[in-house]
Amino acid sequence: MMSAPRLAADWFDGRSARARPVEVWLDGGALHFGDQTAPLHSLTWPERQRHGQRQVLLPGGGLLSFADADAFDAWAQASGRSDSAVVRWQQSWRLALLSLVLLVAGLLGAYRWGLPWAVDRVVDLLPRAAEQRLGEHLLSGLDGEWLKPSRLAAEQQQAWRLRWATALSRARGNGGPAVPERFEIHFRDGGKALGPNAFALPGGDIVITDELLKLLSDEPDAVLTVLAHELGHVQHRHGLRLMLRAGAIGVVASVVVGDFSALLAAAPTLLASNAYSRDNEREADRYARTLARAGGVDASRMAVFFERVAKKRGATVERHPVAIAISSHPADEERVRFFSEP
Amino acid sequence: MPELPLPAEPTSRTLEIRFTGSGSEYFRIWAVNLLLILLTCGLYLPFAKMRRIRYVYANTLIDGEALAFHGDGWKMFRGFVLLAVLMLAYTVASEFSPAVALAAFVVLCAVWPALWRASMQFRLGNTSWRGLRLSFEGSLAGAYLAHLPVYIPMTLLTALVPAGQGPTGDPGVNSRFWFGVSLALLCLMAPWSTALLKRYQHRGYRIAGERSVIVLHTRSVYFIGFKTLMLGVAALFLAMAAAVPLCGLLAWLQSGTVDPRAWRSYYGIATVGLLYLLGAGGLLPYYASRIQNLVWGNTRSASLRFHSELTGLTRLNLKNWLLIVLTLGLYRPFAVMVSTRLRLQAVRVESSTDPATWTAARAGLHTDASGDVAGDFFGMDVGL
Repeated sequence: MMSAPRLAADWFDGRSARARPVEVWLDGGALHFGDQTAPLHSLTWPERQRHGQRQVLLPGGGLLSFADADAFDAWAQASGRSDSAVVRWQQSWRLALLSLVLLVAGLLGAYRWGLPWAVDRVVDLLPRAAEQRLGEHLLSGLDGEWLKPSRLAAEQQQAWRLRWATALSRARGNGGPAVPERFEIHFRDGGKALGPNAFALPGGDIVITDELLKLLSDEPDAVLTVLAHELGHVQHRHGLRLMLRAGAIGVVASVVVGDFSALLAAAPTLLASNAYSRDNEREADRYARTLARAGGVDASRMAVFFERVAKKRGATVERHPVAIAISSHPADEERVRFFSEP
Repeated sequence: MPELPLPAEPTSRTLEIRFTGSGSEYFRIWAVNLLLILLTCGLYLPFAKMRRIRYVYANTLIDGEALAFHGDGWKMFRGFVLLAVLMLAYTVASEFSPAVALAAFVVLCAVWPALWRASMQFRLGNTSWRGLRLSFEGSLAGAYLAHLPVYIPMTLLTALVPAGQGPTGDPGVNSRFWFGVSLALLCLMAPWSTALLKRYQHRGYRIAGERSVIVLHTRSVYFIGFKTLMLGVAALFLAMAAAVPLCGLLAWLQSGTVDPRAWRSYYGIATVGLLYLLGAGGLLPYYASRIQNLVWGNTRSASLRFHSELTGLTRLNLKNWLLIVLTLGLYRPFAVMVSTRLRLQAVRVESSTDPATWTAARAGLHTDASGDVAGDFFGMDVGL
C-alpha cells in the first residue's frame, strides 16, 4: 500500500504560542501530526481559497498552521479531501456569476410571485383592528409633518359628507358593490407639499385635501368618484398591502445593499404620494366606476379632475422618464377613457 | 568616558500586520453567499457571516501568522434567530402602536450594553493567534456606564417632555424642535460617549498574559470632534454652493429647458443629497480614522505598543461609494476588502518580548465557568 502523503505544518497546542514543526498525514479516519492524533470529525477544516493561510482547527483550542497554501491544497486533495459544493461555486468565476444571475432571477421571481402571495396570506391573517391601529398611527404621523387642520368651513364639510352619504345609500339601494365595514373621511389642509390630493390609509381612514375640494368645487361628481376610488383602496386593503410590500423589499434590500430603515420610514410618504401599483389603481378605478354608477354619480366628470390636476402640476413633470417610473398611476388618457366608457 | 554597555534593553520588534484578502475572491464568496441567503429565506445569514469572518481572518497575517476563528455556526445561528425575532417584533410593533414601540425600544436600550459586551466576548473569545485565544474582560456594570451619555439625554427627553408641548402651538414644529434638541445633545455628547466606549473596549483586550490598557483623554476626542464639526460646516457651505449647478442640471433633465425659477424646487433636495454624501461619505470616515489613530496610538500592554497611521480613508470611502452606485452594488465586496486592508495595515504593533514565548493565561479558559455563556449565546458581531 502506498503511504499517505505528508506535509509540513506548524503545530500550536493552544497553551504555548511556540510553533512546533510537525509532519501531517491522514490515515484511518484520523489526522496524525507528530505523535498526536485527532479524529477527522473533530476538526474544522479550512476552505480552499486563492488567498490567505490554511489552518486546521483542533479540538481543545489548538491548531495546525500551513504556511504554503498551495502545498496544503495539493496535499488535501491527494489525501482524498474534496471541496464542498459551496467552495467549488465560490472558486469558480462561472459558477459565482451564475449564482448572481440566479440571485437576480430569484429576486425577480420572489417579487413577482412570492411577495404578492405572502402579502395576501398576511393580509388575511391580520385582524382589522390591527390594521386600524396602523392607520391611526400613520395619520397622526402625517398630521405632525405634512397635514394641517382643514380650513374648510364646518357647513361645507357637512355638505360634502351629506353628498357622499347620499351617493352611498343610493348605491346600496341599487345593489352597488360591498363597502368596507369601517371607513372615515378626514378633511385636511395639504399645504404646498401635497396640494390637491386624496389618499386612503390602512384601516379605512380616507384623507382629502382642501386644495382638491377647491379645485373641484364646481364638480361634485368628480369629488365623489375620487372618494369612491379611495374607498376601493380601502375595500381591497391596498394600503396595508403596499406597506407590507415596502417592508419586505426594504428587508431584502438591506441584506443586499446593507442599509436599513429608509424604505420603512418612507411608508407614509409613499402612501400620500399615491404610489400604489398600477394594478391596485385599476382595481380601485373599477370599484369607483361601479360604485359611482350605482350611486347616481357621473364618473365621466373625472376627465375634469385629470385635466385640472395635470394643469396644476405642470405638464413638465410627466414627461420625464423618472417621473413616469415613480408615479404608478396609469396614464391619464387611459383612465379618462375608462371612466367615460358607457 | 568610556561607553558602558547599557543594561540589556529588551529588543523591540515590529509585528507586521498584512492583509492579503482579494476583492475578486471576496466577490465570488459574496455572490454565492447571497444566493444561499435567498434560497434559505435568510436563515443562511449567520453561516454567511462565519464564512466572511473566516476569509478575513485567514487573510489577516500578524507577524506572518493568520488569525483563526473558532466560532460555531450553529451557536451563531441561535443568536441570530433571537435577535431577528426581537428586531422583527420591534419593527412590527412600532408600525402599529407608538406605546408598544416605546416599550420595545426601552427593552432594547436596557439590554443593548449587555448584548454589546457579550458580542465582544464572543468575537474575541473565538479568535486565536498562534493558538492563543484572545478574550475580552470588562464588567457588565462598566458596559452600562460606558453607554450613559447616550441614554441620559434620551431618557430625560422622553420622560420630561410632554407630547406636543414646545415653543409653538404647532405639534409638527414642536416635534421637530425636540428632535433637534435631542440631536444637538447627542452630537455634543458624542465625543464623550466615544471616549467612554473606547476606554471600556481597549481596557478589556487579553491575549496570553497581555492585558491592554489605554490612556485616553476625553479632551483629545473632543478636539477631533471639533475638527470634524468645522469640516462639517465647510461641507455645508460646499453642499449649498455645489447644489446650485446640480439643481440646475436636475431641472434641465426634468424639463429640458433652462428656467432658473424651476431650479428652486430642486435646490432643497440637491443640498440634502450632497450633504448626505459629504457627511456619511466624508465626515464619518474622517472621524473614524482620526479616532482609530488616537485610540490605538494610546493602547498598550505589558510588552505591546500599538501605532496607527490611518490616512486616506475619506478619499477611499468617497471613491467606494461612487463605484458602488455606478456598478449597482456589485463593487461592494471589492470596497470592503480595500477599506479593510487600509484600516488594518495602518496599525503597527511593537513587541518587547518574543510572542513565541507567550503562554495561555489559563489553560482552556474559553470554556470554563469564567467564559461568559451569554457571549456564546449571542453570537453577534461588532466590527473592529
